[in-house]
Amino acid sequence: MQNRRLFDRIESIKFKGITKKYGPVYAVKDLDLEVRGGELLILIGPSGSGKTTALRMMNRMIDQDTGSVTINGLDTRDVDPVRLRRNMGYVIQNIGLFPHMTIGENIGLVPKLEGWDKKKIHQRVSNLLDFVSLPPDIFMKRYPRQLSGGQQQRVGLARAMATDPPLFLMDEPFGALDPILRKQLQKEFLKIKNEINRTIIFVTHDIEEALVLGDRIAIMDQGQLVQVGPPEELIFNPASELVSDIVDNQRKYKHMDTLKVKDLMSAYEDKYALDGKTEVCDAVEEMTKRDLETAFVFDGHELLGQVTMVDLMKCRVKAQKLADLARPMKTFQPLDSVAFALSEMKKSGEYIAIVMDPNKPAGILVSDEVLLKLI
Amino acid sequence: MVGLEIILEATWEHIILVYTTLSISIAISIPLAFASLYSRKLEFVVMKFANLVQAVPSFAVVAIMVPLLGIGFTPAVVAIMLRALLPIVKNTFIGLKNVDPSIIDYAQGMGMSQWQINTYIRLPNAYPAMFAGIKFAGILANSIAVLTAFIGSGGLGEIIFQGLIGYNTSTLLAGAIPAILLAIMIDRSFSALEKKVTPGYRKI
Amino acid sequence: MLTIQVIAEVWDKHLMTIRTIEHLQMFSIALTLSIIIGVSVGVLIYMRPKTADTVLNFLNIVETIPDLALIVLLLPVLKLGAGPTIAACVLYSILPIARNTYTGLKGVDAQYTYVASAIGLSSREALFRVRIPLSLPLIAGGIRIALVFCMGVVTLGGLVAAGGLGTVLQNGVQLYQKDAILVAGLWTGLLAVLLDGFAGIIEKKLQERYGTW
Repeated sequence: MQNRRLFDRIESIKFKGITKKYGPVYAVKDLDLEVRGGELLILIGPSGSGKTTALRMMNRMIDQDTGSVTINGLDTRDVDPVRLRRNMGYVIQNIGLFPHMTIGENIGLVPKLEGWDKKKIHQRVSNLLDFVSLPPDIFMKRYPRQLSGGQQQRVGLARAMATDPPLFLMDEPFGALDPILRKQLQKEFLKIKNEINRTIIFVTHDIEEALVLGDRIAIMDQGQLVQVGPPEELIFNPASELVSDIVDNQRKYKHMDTLKVKDLMSAYEDKYALDGKTEVCDAVEEMTKRDLETAFVFDGHELLGQVTMVDLMKCRVKAQKLADLARPMKTFQPLDSVAFALSEMKKSGEYIAIVMDPNKPAGILVSDEVLLKLI
Repeated sequence: MVGLEIILEATWEHIILVYTTLSISIAISIPLAFASLYSRKLEFVVMKFANLVQAVPSFAVVAIMVPLLGIGFTPAVVAIMLRALLPIVKNTFIGLKNVDPSIIDYAQGMGMSQWQINTYIRLPNAYPAMFAGIKFAGILANSIAVLTAFIGSGGLGEIIFQGLIGYNTSTLLAGAIPAILLAIMIDRSFSALEKKVTPGYRKI
Repeated sequence: MLTIQVIAEVWDKHLMTIRTIEHLQMFSIALTLSIIIGVSVGVLIYMRPKTADTVLNFLNIVETIPDLALIVLLLPVLKLGAGPTIAACVLYSILPIARNTYTGLKGVDAQYTYVASAIGLSSREALFRVRIPLSLPLIAGGIRIALVFCMGVVTLGGLVAAGGLGTVLQNGVQLYQKDAILVAGLWTGLLAVLLDGFAGIIEKKLQERYGTW
């Protein structure tokens, strides 16, 4: 019975008059909200705004006091919670991979409970691991503790996709990662999102993330919905002080022409650097330890280029040195103009560049971040 | 039927056996625990030995006394001690050792001597664990004391062994039931004591 | 002195091969039953938390009863033979296994139970696939304690015609045969220590595999 799909595609999800109280405090108050099929809706707001509570009502981890949540017209209270949850992919900040199961077992758990045969599960898990850029022959048999934070989060995403659900609930999935890693995963996630074309509800407290990822953004405060709409609407027609505060505080820089690279670059840290003589195997281990997805390769003080974890994973000759693998990357000077730097990066399709002053690294330029600082 | 007088006498013998052993065990354990605090080698030997002996069946320990020490009260005391000593040493040692080092530092700073630190800080801190160990040892001693009747220690076990010879149920019960009551008594009284010495009356 | 020759003589005369087999048979039956019952009790009191204190308190009282007295209490019900000995082993062993199972299940990190439920595991599936596996190191610790209890009680079986190595000890003491006592006593002790050590290794392995980090 649990094998049957509740829905193949989401037409719409409707919150009607939802209220949830904890003692005298309203966690959510009179919430009316519609999620459209196929969109990525962001729920954002300060902590205690009710965004997570609203998300958890969708899979009935929390039940509302009054009001109803309907999916394609089906009231969630009429469905067994276990069955409801099997029809949704769920990703959370602390991931919660089971430590006693391998990566393969973690991803294949729900398919196994759904009664898939072994071969089909294996096939599916391999495909998913490939999909999130973790080569299956390396990662299938590993345990969660052997993975870096970024790798674990990819596994969390693959687990949510295991039964190919039509709906994803994501509760600050990138919240615990360092900024550069977060950017990279957001980027990959956007790609995935476009490929799978599913309905996604995404909770975050990070407005940058919301602006980059969201088709529409719902801003919540003190249990109530303040405004919902596409990013540009929130920027140009904020419904209240709060909305303009949330969106506007990013608008620090109005005149792009006068801006220099040094104004908008991110801090450089030594942990990003690897020596060109490092062998691939050691580099993978080192990057895992430092929780890096991208590293810069140096030969002494000379910059050789960049390597990404994905490149290293694909490399078959394990004794190869990083110097041979490093891909050239854009470098800029602190006093270059931002407009120039961005157009250069766009031309070559790079989203990350290094700033040298003049021969040693002074910062990192991440295109998304620069754009967001400009809004 | 077994006369009440016989039961009372056996119970008395049993109590003497248990508490003699327990007192000697405590008297040896506490200095041993303190000594282990100052010698890593001794600590290692005591802990290893404690874990090892705990696995050996009591009956084997009791029986081996016969070729080594013969039969009677003394071999029984030694056999019981071999089992009862170690939980006390182990628990006391753990209690003594688990004192917040900053408190020891502070006490030294106040000018307390090593002896004063031990009596006023380490020992009271070890009480809860120590009394838990003594309770466990008491129950163990009571249990093995039934068995040592087999090597002539006297006590309630003697009535049980008499009952076993003719398979006489009422004789068996006349030995078993007082032994069980004694066990429950030991458990209760030492639990109460344990609570009393635990700061805030909380059971660990 | 114990020479090889003396040991061999005692071994043959007291049928120690057969006694060892009896000993281990009783032991394995008792331990298997203890594990089944102990884990079940642990799971049941976990699912009905209100009963936990009562059940554990009762088992605590059972634990204080002298082992020989407990066997004797069971004699009228189960008659002479291996029955009372095995039953006493089980009664002693339920507590450590049930208590550790209960503590283990209760102590599973909340994030894992939350995720289990959120990705659509029923409470039964969450119990068997997440809670119990994550509790295995603690459950194994309880089983190891039970193993020591069982070895001790099984040895007592010799006194109530249950067979096993206790029989050799009993005969040795009654007939005052020092060699027999020494050989049987050391052998029984060695068996117990070896099994305990073996269980310790398994416990450690489980700790590495399933323990929290």
